[in-house]
Amino acid sequence: MFDRRLVQYFDWGLLGLTSLIAAMGLVALYSAVTAGGPAAERVLFVKQLIWYGVGLAAMIVTFVFSYKSFERWGHMIYLGSVGLLVAVIFFGKYVGGAKRWIALGPASIQPSELAKVAVIIILARVYAKMATTSGFNLRDLVTPAILVLIPFGLIVQQPDLGTAMVVALIAASMTLFVKIQNRTLLTMAIGCGCALPLAWLFALKEYQKQRVLTFLDPERDPLGHGYHIIQSKIAIGSGMFTGKGFLKGTQNTLNFLPEQHTDFIFSVLAEEWGMLGALGLILVFLLILAWGLNIAYGCRDPFGTILCVGVVAMIFWQVFINIGMVMGLLPVVGVTLPFISYGGSSIITMMIGVGILMNVSMRRFLFEQ
Amino acid sequence: MKTDPSRKVRLRSAVVSLLFVALFGTIAVRAAQLQVVKGSWLSSRAERQYQRVLTVTGKRGTIVDTNGDPLAVSVQATSIAADPRLIKDPYGAAKRMAPRLNISRKVLQKKLASKRHFVWLKREVTPDVVEAIRGLDIAGLHFMAETSRVYPAKTQAGQLLGFASIDGRGLEGVEFFYEKQLQASSHKIQVAKDALGRGFDGPPRETTALNGKDVQLTIDRNIQFITEKALEEAVTTHEARNGLAVVMAPDSGAVLALAHYPYFNPNAFGDFQRDDWRNRAVTDPFEPGSTMKIFSAAAAIDSGLVRADSIFYCENGAYRIGRNTVHDTKEHGWLSLQQIVKYSSNIGSVKVAETIGAKTLHRYLTAFGFGSRTGIDCPGETPGRLSGYKSWSAIDNGAISFGQGVSVSALQLTAAAAAIANGGRLMQPYLVKAIIDASGKVVQQRSPKTVRRVVSPQTARTIQKILHTVTTSGGTGEAAALEGYTVCGKTGTAQKIGPDGRYAPGKYVSSFLGFAPAEAPALAILVVVDEPRKSHYGGQVAGPAFRTIAQETLHYLNVMPAHGMERLRVAIDEEVKG
Repeated sequence: MFDRRLVQYFDWGLLGLTSLIAAMGLVALYSAVTAGGPAAERVLFVKQLIWYGVGLAAMIVTFVFSYKSFERWGHMIYLGSVGLLVAVIFFGKYVGGAKRWIALGPASIQPSELAKVAVIIILARVYAKMATTSGFNLRDLVTPAILVLIPFGLIVQQPDLGTAMVVALIAASMTLFVKIQNRTLLTMAIGCGCALPLAWLFALKEYQKQRVLTFLDPERDPLGHGYHIIQSKIAIGSGMFTGKGFLKGTQNTLNFLPEQHTDFIFSVLAEEWGMLGALGLILVFLLILAWGLNIAYGCRDPFGTILCVGVVAMIFWQVFINIGMVMGLLPVVGVTLPFISYGGSSIITMMIGVGILMNVSMRRFLFEQ
Repeated sequence: MKTDPSRKVRLRSAVVSLLFVALFGTIAVRAAQLQVVKGSWLSSRAERQYQRVLTVTGKRGTIVDTNGDPLAVSVQATSIAADPRLIKDPYGAAKRMAPRLNISRKVLQKKLASKRHFVWLKREVTPDVVEAIRGLDIAGLHFMAETSRVYPAKTQAGQLLGFASIDGRGLEGVEFFYEKQLQASSHKIQVAKDALGRGFDGPPRETTALNGKDVQLTIDRNIQFITEKALEEAVTTHEARNGLAVVMAPDSGAVLALAHYPYFNPNAFGDFQRDDWRNRAVTDPFEPGSTMKIFSAAAAIDSGLVRADSIFYCENGAYRIGRNTVHDTKEHGWLSLQQIVKYSSNIGSVKVAETIGAKTLHRYLTAFGFGSRTGIDCPGETPGRLSGYKSWSAIDNGAISFGQGVSVSALQLTAAAAAIANGGRLMQPYLVKAIIDASGKVVQQRSPKTVRRVVSPQTARTIQKILHTVTTSGGTGEAAALEGYTVCGKTGTAQKIGPDGRYAPGKYVSSFLGFAPAEAPALAILVVVDEPRKSHYGGQVAGPAFRTIAQETLHYLNVMPAHGMERLRVAIDEEVKG
């Protein structure tokens, strides 16, 4: 099974970009857990290093076997992932009012993170098989919709609105990428337009409504729901053009920043490294996305292309939502910043994503004559 | 019709890329807006959040007596405050703190739920309460170090010490006069505070360098105690309105005790009237009466115009000058100057004054310090009143010679008597002998200051002898005589001037002014009792108090009794011979 060309075609560029973003993430995390926060959090830096080790292993495993096997085993991966989401209902542990985790010895995993990859694979498999030139109509979309709605629903009930939204956005991005009939698109747009007010009235929980209202006007409750976003904006803004310097972020050090090692880690980075750091990070993300799209574009196999688009969409939406959120452009939803935020499941998922891109990238020779 | 799948993918990739760039561009623009456009505004907001300007203040200096015993000290106290906006659960916090602060839960909860940034919960609590509240680990509480002024000797020397306000400013007495030295300095420091408000109280800082300086008084607590007790006894026994007493070291002018009765407790200065806390010995002028004869006699002798044995006809008790008549309490015929003082003859005194003339009397009285401030280190000093001799009428010369128509402060009078005691030098009285900085180093040492020589040593000696006879048999000051010591002194019984400007019947100021022991005076003492009701003669009212103060203080100071010395010498001589 081993092909010498695998080494020849190995995507060193992507590995380099991934290493760069990982390094930036570790620097920001070091600040977040060392300078600010309780002493007990310092250990999180070491833990994150371990997670990156595990993530690296997961990445290697992901690109060693041809991505074709994902197509073959896609339904099993999907079922396994949904199984884990169901297991959360029974065996999950409560953290902060939500049941999102399964304890596995000393660590715990977040099946909703892995579910994102599973949805990408299953949708890629379904869309690749249904490939059409005229575009999908509403009926064609029933199966993909059901496949997405099952994990979506399971994630929403945890509740983990952020991840559920990311799953939905990944699915929507992939669906738009494979062609849809204009009529169908219009119908769906109207459907969504009607669903939003209904969701506001019936589906959203009170705290979620509060977050949306706070997003619209953070100063209306500066110590309650608006606190996070105001503090985050102050931290980012006070970093100014060149930043306050490594470990010198006052808002981070003095605990004004909430969740500074997870969802709000971008604020730590932007405070210490300023606009140069913030734009640098966004640029590296953009390079990774461009790299991913280039792989997708270079792949002659519909499954590989759609798979890569899914991974790129996942990274894109999380980066956009997270940074948009900490800068007050979007409501506060629990979405981690890929490669930067602390968290095992998040890191492993992202490294698997990179593994998928590499997998497709290094097997592009299969289509060359 | 077949489209090239790769073209299709390329088109979509372009659209998707564009979308990515557009959305990322949005967040990049937002970053620029926050960090550059609004950067300085958000920076100042950050600073406002985490920076607190903390004023660090040292402790106010201590006032100690001559032996270093504390009379006024500042003690650290902690006050507990809260930032209600940081209190997450006012009900719970109030419920937990209420029993420890001894405040009802409702009151506390109301404070904690207020919309303000800062509320006092309790001022100046004990350390164990502070520990207990700290132990509750409630976010949003502030522990503010404050100092409170305590006067451990309570009422002792109360009027002399004065008091300092709650915010540590001296308002009266030594506290006021030495404000500059006692005052703690402070400086502002910027501290960072975290989101829970921690860092506001911070770790205790070294503030010794900011402490005020200590003030060491010349007052001796033991002598002060002796003096106050004797004065209290005199005032209460004679049902007087009030009283005061001054004890001074004649050689230096150092004030050893300055007592007022009724007492004043500076720990609770708010409970007293203004009249109670005035340092009357310095601030209030009064007509001295016959004690003034000491100085007119000194003027007569020192001017060389009269000798101690010069005799004067005392008109058998009534002497008419113009429209006024001067009376003596007893009828006297011919008296020597010495006898005039001993029996306190007003007519005799007038005759003496007539002999030396107004100009000479005025010159000497001025030299003794009357009519001008002594310059004692105490606020509100009165110069008394001694008008120019050119404006004196016929009666004034005589009246002033026995202490009427002139007013003095108790301190002036004592200082003048001290000049007789020390051989003729007027010393400037003082209350503070040293200023000591926080490290214990003496930064300012007061040395005795001679104002001027008033009379020759011979004159002083002569007056001493005359004054000694006052306390011997038949003298007006017999009650002031001591066991074992020779005492020099003079009684004073002055009628008080009523609100109508005339002498009020039955209202007297009774006093005794003197020094002891005669051979080497260690103490000059003045006792003034205002409006005694049982008796009004200075010798009877103030004399016993003088005696108690002198006797006990001389014992306390280990001054060898003269008679004892004699006996000791005899004993030694016998031993040597034997």
